[in-house]
Amino acid sequence: MNINFSLIIESLPEMLMGFGITLKLLFVSGFLGLILAITLLLMRLSGKFYLDWPAQVYIYVFRGTPILVQIFIIYYGLPQFDTIRESIFWPILREPTGCAILALTLNTGAYVSEILRGGVLAVDRGLLEAASALGMSARHKFIYITTPIATRIALPAYSNDVVSLLKSTALASTITITDMTGIARTIVSETYAPYEIFISLAIVYMICTFGIQKLFGFFEKILSRYTIREA
Amino acid sequence: MEALVGWWDDFFWGSKVVAEVFISSLGLTILFGLIGAAAKLSNSNIAKKFAGAYTVIFRGTPEILVILLFYFGLALALTSIAQVFDPDVKFIDIPPFWSGTIAISIIVGSYATETFRGAFLGVNSGSVEAAHALGLNKFQTFIYIRIPEMWRIALPPFGNHMLSLVKDTALISVIGLNETLFVAKQAITVTGKPFTMYIVVGAIYLGFSSVITLTVMGLEKFGERTTVISK
Repeated sequence: MNINFSLIIESLPEMLMGFGITLKLLFVSGFLGLILAITLLLMRLSGKFYLDWPAQVYIYVFRGTPILVQIFIIYYGLPQFDTIRESIFWPILREPTGCAILALTLNTGAYVSEILRGGVLAVDRGLLEAASALGMSARHKFIYITTPIATRIALPAYSNDVVSLLKSTALASTITITDMTGIARTIVSETYAPYEIFISLAIVYMICTFGIQKLFGFFEKILSRYTIREA
Repeated sequence: MEALVGWWDDFFWGSKVVAEVFISSLGLTILFGLIGAAAKLSNSNIAKKFAGAYTVIFRGTPEILVILLFYFGLALALTSIAQVFDPDVKFIDIPPFWSGTIAISIIVGSYATETFRGAFLGVNSGSVEAAHALGLNKFQTFIYIRIPEMWRIALPPFGNHMLSLVKDTALISVIGLNETLFVAKQAITVTGKPFTMYIVVGAIYLGFSSVITLTVMGLEKFGERTTVISK
């Protein structure tokens, strides 16, 4: 097998043109997904069945179905209804990018809310009891005690989810979005050189993954600067 | 719902393909995971490096990219190998079933490697010492002590890996595997009802996920039947 290096050098800049779209999908849906996840978390922690139940069903459905099916339902499925085509959301749902962001947001929100819940449940009960003893209200306890500690506990798992979100953005190429994977697939269909193109693209994704992990390692260091390490 | 009349049997055969992919990839995933974990825990530096590279590569690249690479790449590689022996061979086509199954097992196997490694490290060293004291040899210790203790530790995270296996099956439809998502695409071109069809696909996958979740829960109960809960 001989690898055509000039083809890699030729097509790499072309693929990197899609890097902006990949990043946009990652950041926008990551941010919106985090907001959704916090909403779902608060619904689950509220202790009221009419909030807890819908959140549980939502998480169950979105974690139990493939993201590709979710993308297809939103992009191909929703226009089946006239009401949606006439609604105010149509400008977003008409664009493949809007659909991809919506699908990724809904998907990652379900996963992240479970991660955050794990963090909240792992907060030491003694600290909460101490806060109660100091006369803090439930809201104060949540903001000043639970949130900072739960963030630190949940961060490593959250960084894994950001990595899987990055990998999910590659699925946007199935609904005609020209992100890095979409461009690579076009090039492969033209040149029929899957090794060169896909392997170099895989390396680009791996560098991104590495960057995300380093970034979150840095956040973790900042957040745990006051923690005492037990030797 | 009348749009679905006549498509139920196609969805049934599609689900059968999903089940077949799941079962074959489950076996391969366990195999790859065990090999990877064995390499990571071995004393050989080369094996450790290979296993480390394996997990970094396949956890850092999008699943769809690996599937595409295996589908197009394996066909090219096999063709060039076959041409060495028989120059008349024009092209060898790999069935999407096997290239897809191998691709997702290798991906999820890289996650399983870490899970199995952690589980083997989590085996109580006291039990192993006790086994040695009783005169069990290394092989017997492995079969009667390490494996029974290890699968109980590995089961909860491995349940999640099984869920990602079944969900990754949907991605294989991109390279033309005739599973439910592929059936839905055909049904849509005939009936023009994308939402209905993709919801059915989602429901089928949700069913698979639920069965796996319940099975894992049952297995966990089974594993704990002899565990003494210390308070």
